[in-house]
Amino acid sequence: MVSKRSSFCSGSATRAAACRSQVDLVTSQPVNTAKLERMLSDRGISRRRFLEFCGAVAVALGLSEAFAPSIQEALAEGIVGKAEGKLIPVIWLELASCTGCTESFAQVDTPDIATVVLELISLTYSETLSAGAGFSLEEAKEETIANGGHIVVIEGALMEGWDGNALRIANEKGTEIVKHAVSTAKAVICAGSCSVDGGWQAAKPNPGGAIGIQNYLQKAFDAGEISSIPPIINVPTCPANPEHLVAVLIEVLLLDRLPVLDRFNKPAQIFGQFIHENCPRRGHFENGEFVYQFGSEEEALGYCLYPMGCKGPQTKNDCPIVRWNRRVSWCVEAGAPCIGCAVSDPTTNKRNWVDLNSPFLKRFHSINIMNYVFQPATLAVAAAGLVVAALAVHGFGWKISGRFAGGAPIEKERAWDIRHPNKAVSTTMRKVAAKKDRVLNAQLIKEESEEKYFDSVSKAALASQAEGHLARQQANPEKASDTNDNTDQTQGGE
Amino acid sequence: MAHLAHYREAHPLPYVITHWINLLSMIVLAFTGFVIHFPFLPGIMGLCRGAHLFFACLVLVNMAFRIFSSPFIKSAPNMGTREKRQDMFVFLPQKDNRHQFGAWIKYYLFLKKDHPLSGKYGVPQKLAYLAVIPLTLFIAFTGFCLWVPTSDWLLMQFFTDLVGGVMAVRIIHYWTMWIMIIFVMLHVYLSIANGLAPLKMIFLWKEHGGLVYDPKTKNIIGEDDLGEEHA
Ligand code: SF4
Ligand code: SF4
Repeated sequence: MVSKRSSFCSGSATRAAACRSQVDLVTSQPVNTAKLERMLSDRGISRRRFLEFCGAVAVALGLSEAFAPSIQEALAEGIVGKAEGKLIPVIWLELASCTGCTESFAQVDTPDIATVVLELISLTYSETLSAGAGFSLEEAKEETIANGGHIVVIEGALMEGWDGNALRIANEKGTEIVKHAVSTAKAVICAGSCSVDGGWQAAKPNPGGAIGIQNYLQKAFDAGEISSIPPIINVPTCPANPEHLVAVLIEVLLLDRLPVLDRFNKPAQIFGQFIHENCPRRGHFENGEFVYQFGSEEEALGYCLYPMGCKGPQTKNDCPIVRWNRRVSWCVEAGAPCIGCAVSDPTTNKRNWVDLNSPFLKRFHSINIMNYVFQPATLAVAAAGLVVAALAVHGFGWKISGRFAGGAPIEKERAWDIRHPNKAVSTTMRKVAAKKDRVLNAQLIKEESEEKYFDSVSKAALASQAEGHLARQQANPEKASDTNDNTDQTQGGE
Repeated sequence: MAHLAHYREAHPLPYVITHWINLLSMIVLAFTGFVIHFPFLPGIMGLCRGAHLFFACLVLVNMAFRIFSSPFIKSAPNMGTREKRQDMFVFLPQKDNRHQFGAWIKYYLFLKKDHPLSGKYGVPQKLAYLAVIPLTLFIAFTGFCLWVPTSDWLLMQFFTDLVGGVMAVRIIHYWTMWIMIIFVMLHVYLSIANGLAPLKMIFLWKEHGGLVYDPKTKNIIGEDDLGEEHA
């Protein structure tokens, strides 16, 4: 795991140095830790739980659990520092969402360490979490934006529909709120799949024009509506996993650096491996032990959920390692196939994870063409069926025409050759055509055609052609013979 | 007798063998692919995954051999003749086929009564066989986009992102297989449409008498009954 840490820091030599100095810095301040522990114990959180939490954060950051004390120090420094007003402020915007991400983050009945830490972090604006409301809250937000250098966490999709009026908050369009909030921000964290790719709201038919944040900001930038796009960190899944968010927030707020991101701006450490690679049911997969029906014996035995449409083999996330609900369990462990909630692609609005993965219990997603919804297999079998039917009809005709047994007679001359005797492929044909006298030539062809087998079409063509030659020859005898000479030369060259 | 004679020269032994390998691999690949897509025979899932990869590689090697050996192996570019050329000419346009595309289509659609003259492969047949080369490469490529050890190679990743993720690649891979299946159906149908002689040739390497074609004049010049009538 230590080697993983070094790879995490390997972006550049300076970054590695920065990592080291961060660690040096934080381990030299035990005073803050003691203060933080007192603050936490006031809120009913023991030292042991806090250390466990720091260990989990370290793992989510791609560090060894041995780095828990460093995380602890970093948190302590940041949170205690907040009391002295030094922390980067955070604005949490809730757009078109089910509040599930906030909910996943801050479950009121059992306040957990992440909640407390986030409360302590300078969350200046959150519709759901903030104690204040209304005008004073909006004012605090405005102040934060005016000061700049803050972090914007966005939960939920933006809505572009009806000229942006599909989503209005505090009498303002969601699109305007986002553009304004990010204008001076240090970074944007898209929490949950809806803010990454539009999520459920953007699933077909998407009448409200839901769109992911990265995609929207890119569009706004291209249209010249904003002058720059702050760094974006996409933390998909539905809802966002609090462990992931806390890990990213700690890295950004306290260690003051961006996580290493992949090409989708997702933290590479978290979204780097397929779920299937780390799944505890993988042994059953390898042994060919599958669940085919819920409520079956196989399900009770905890077999692999592949036939139930598990998207684990094509979804990159660390669910089997970091897990959910304070590391208690996660989808597959709880008996539900992975529905691929982390596959969000922030670079396009053409597809989102819901459309990509539904129906969730099928191996393929459905295709939707002009509101006809079908499975890929249906189309394939239909196409193949059509071909079989066509071949059956054709075979019937083939049989009736007696072509199966012995086949049709082979043409004596190519039909094209007969129409173009001078340029014929077959040399026998060309010899016939090369006869000096054009009239004779045409007649020869005609005679030839009587001898050989021709179908009626070719015969008719031949007859009319012969007549044409005769007519032309009578009208312009010299020209006709010229052409014949040329043909002869070509012939000689062969 | 309306057929052209089938001589071994049309299908030299190495290509009878590559054809056998193709046939077996296709069957194994399609079958194992179906099992991997949905494990209806759970017990052999692991085996199928291994076999799928192995036969995919086999098909590729086989195809590479088929193409790259063609300048060095001679075969008859026409039915009904024992005259041989480098086999690669079979891949290239042949004079025997010139202007015959329309005639073939008309023939298949019953608009033309007599069987068109052609090279070893008729025009539509040849186009279909040539199309199988890119199709095979494509289906193998999409397969390697899905196989985890190669899935994050740059080209594979680029393609996967382009089409919209792993799920999309899976569907494309699946549909391409069906295009292959449809090709095989047409191929088999058209092969037996003129009787079983071509099958005997390609699978059992058994000759069959018939009309004789002269590659020089590009015409039928006679008939060869392989001496059977007199035996
Ligand atoms: S349950 Fe899903 S992720 Fe786990 S082994 Fe089976 S297919 Fe893979
Ligand atoms: S297991 Fe799959 S569906 Fe469940 S949270 Fe992880 S990525 Fe999402």
